[in-house]
Amino acid sequence: MFNSCVTGSLYLISAVALTLIYGLSRFPNFAHAEFMALGAYIGYSVAEQLGMGFPITFIAAFLASGALGVISYKVVFQPLAKRGASIIHLMIASIALGFIIRHSIGAIWGWAPLSFRVVWSSFDMGAVRVSGIWLWLIFAALALGGIMHLLLVKTKIGKAIRATSSNPELALSSGININRVTLTTWFIGAALAGIAGLFRAAGTRLSPLLGWDILLPTFAVTILGGIGSFYGAIAAAFIIGLAENVGVVVLVSLGLSTEYRMAIAFAILILTLLIRPQGLTKLFRGT
Amino acid sequence: MEETLLRIRDITKNFGGLRAVDGVNIDVNTESIVGLVGPNGSGKTTLFNVIFGLHKADHGNVYFDNKRIDHLAPHQVFTRGMVNAFQLPRLFYQLTTLDNMLLAAREHKGDNLLNSLFLRKEWQHQESELAQKAMEILELLELAHLTFSPAGELSGGQRKLLEIGRALMADPVLLLLDEPAAGVNPILGRKIFEKIEHFRQRGMSFFIIEHRLEILMEFANRIYVMDKGKIVVEGEPTEVVNNPVFYEVYIGEK
Amino acid sequence: MDPFIYILDIIVFIGIFAIVALSLNLEYGFTGLGNFGKVAFFLIGAYTYALLIETGLHFILCLIIAAILSGLIGSLISLPALRLREDYLAIVTLAFGEIIRIVVKAEHWIAHGVWGISVPPAIFWQGASFRMTIVAHIGLIFFCLLICFILVQLVTNSPYGRILRAIREDEIAAATLGKSRLKYKAQVFAMGSALAGLGGALFAQYIGFIEPYMFMPMLTFTVWIMVLVGGPANNWGTLLGATLVQLFNRGAKIIKDYLILPVDPTDLQYILLGLLIIFILLYRPGGILKESKIKTKAVERASQWKRHS
Repeated sequence: MFNSCVTGSLYLISAVALTLIYGLSRFPNFAHAEFMALGAYIGYSVAEQLGMGFPITFIAAFLASGALGVISYKVVFQPLAKRGASIIHLMIASIALGFIIRHSIGAIWGWAPLSFRVVWSSFDMGAVRVSGIWLWLIFAALALGGIMHLLLVKTKIGKAIRATSSNPELALSSGININRVTLTTWFIGAALAGIAGLFRAAGTRLSPLLGWDILLPTFAVTILGGIGSFYGAIAAAFIIGLAENVGVVVLVSLGLSTEYRMAIAFAILILTLLIRPQGLTKLFRGT
Repeated sequence: MEETLLRIRDITKNFGGLRAVDGVNIDVNTESIVGLVGPNGSGKTTLFNVIFGLHKADHGNVYFDNKRIDHLAPHQVFTRGMVNAFQLPRLFYQLTTLDNMLLAAREHKGDNLLNSLFLRKEWQHQESELAQKAMEILELLELAHLTFSPAGELSGGQRKLLEIGRALMADPVLLLLDEPAAGVNPILGRKIFEKIEHFRQRGMSFFIIEHRLEILMEFANRIYVMDKGKIVVEGEPTEVVNNPVFYEVYIGEK
Repeated sequence: MDPFIYILDIIVFIGIFAIVALSLNLEYGFTGLGNFGKVAFFLIGAYTYALLIETGLHFILCLIIAAILSGLIGSLISLPALRLREDYLAIVTLAFGEIIRIVVKAEHWIAHGVWGISVPPAIFWQGASFRMTIVAHIGLIFFCLLICFILVQLVTNSPYGRILRAIREDEIAAATLGKSRLKYKAQVFAMGSALAGLGGALFAQYIGFIEPYMFMPMLTFTVWIMVLVGGPANNWGTLLGATLVQLFNRGAKIIKDYLILPVDPTDLQYILLGLLIIFILLYRPGGILKESKIKTKAVERASQWKRHS
């Protein structure tokens, strides 16, 4: 149960980020994996190599990934979109961008898996001993979720993002500055991805391939929740988190390999697309 | 002898809370030109989309040649002999004008995968014949000089003509035309209708959405007026134009 | 490694990947299907061949069955998948590829999981030198490539090929003109999957040993780059793309031995590759060679008409 919350929290942060960007720019951004990886590595540098405390680490990861997101958009995706690139072209560009970032990270920090040396205090919850990092993750997920909710519902920019996401033409004619909305969305999306990556790395290990481990399940969550649906992503994150962890128990009891854990998210993904491609969107009005 | 070719009965189509088409009844006879007029947003194009199978009606039936077709997919409706030309031409822009025409051919041996690989001689012969027919139509529409140009290079008016030419190439029994003369200069527009009449005499039927009354007055056998999804007036052109309801609906908009 | 053998090795890989790239070109270049699960069928072909050859069947039969099985599985998943819009199709096919890989990795009884299977080469005779063996492989693979190339050329330079392109351009317009989009898409997907399976089978018997980590999504992306670089909807372009990308990949490895760089050449290779792809997408999205035109008797007839009028 606890594990489900943990997995769900991680997916929440990552998928909310992805769903924002996917909903606005209308293509699956595979470089999202590398936004996560960068956040993790910058966090590592700040925490381990510069010896800074954790709040600063998080802020650094947040800002660095966010910046990367904006740069990626301005340098790669915006020019492509201006030239009328198809969704597939944008997808492939995001994959190519992923190569560049991933191998730059590998070149700078090396490919050997790294670990955060920080020791997390452990707590006892019932019969289970849990590491503090996971509690922080759940807290962060709830906090970020709450902040994002307020942002999207109460602030002007948040409303602009929602408007542009659901109807770009209408938003444009309503005088919304689409460029600013897009840049903001990419910043927030990438920044959140960076945080997700940092948590993943802090709790497990750090390698340039970190993003890809979580990427496809993140897509599963985004699609189950409905692309562009913030609340859908939150619900889907916990559904899939639960499914994965329950699934592992089921697998073990059936005598199947736990390799299939990854396949659970994929299976949900495929089923969603085949049966109800819009995911959980309609269940959440006004998103 | 005139028979009812297309029978539309009680067709209703909703779009997200809006009733785009509301209980529409229409008859189109063989060898006739039937016009459909109405203000923008009255549901004319939606009705066409339902007829040739792009959307499923929420209620009602469509009969073509006395057989129900409302449950069929567009490519099946085509096989029955009904061809649709879109308002905004949906050409294959990367392909040449000739390719666009050839794609409309009704029954081509080369369409089948195995035939394509193994019966080369047969379909090559058919290609030649179809090219002949295509060139005749292109000539008629004054597009022959653009035979090998990619459709993307054609002007707006030429694209409209190609859209129609492609539909003609398919040997339709009934041709649905959505504003065939829109965006085209009046002289050319009139020429299009002259050619439509020419084909009508050769046995084709036409169901045409058109804004310009003058032209329908001259060429149409029957006119239906649509407003807010319903048919409000119908009859021969002179009858319709003299009907006061028609004025309310149509002129009120202009 | 003997440089001559190294060159032969490159040629073999160009041959194998050319077959897979042609299959993707058929699906994406001509029909507009964004299939991101190519590696799945490559894997199915490879493992099918590996398992069959152990039963003692003649290698030609194994190759054929591997291709047919891949094609059949392609047909099966195409039925539900091809109704999806572009990006969903891409994600579904990607997920499918990963699921297949996980299944093979997890189910040890199928193919020994991560320990892999050994595969004997198809053509082998006593006393053959290593060079001669590779040349034999090249013979086999390029013979298959020739057949595949002729096949895709025949399919695409025909009325059937014209319909595929129409479906790519505007599938609704194509449907309005009587072409059943599902039928054509399904056929193309089956053909493409069969070809990819053939490529996988040839790969298995050349490499001699296969295991799940050889079939990562990276392979799918590599094939995509080959198609995009060479020019989609042009089979010659695809051959060119396959050659160039393979040379690029191999070239980087060679340079590693001769130049001392501050950055690990593998990393540099991928960074450059990524930059190259983005550059191509920005400035020459059509690839090197343009889309091939359909040349049938229709073109002749139309030209005659124009001349006489």
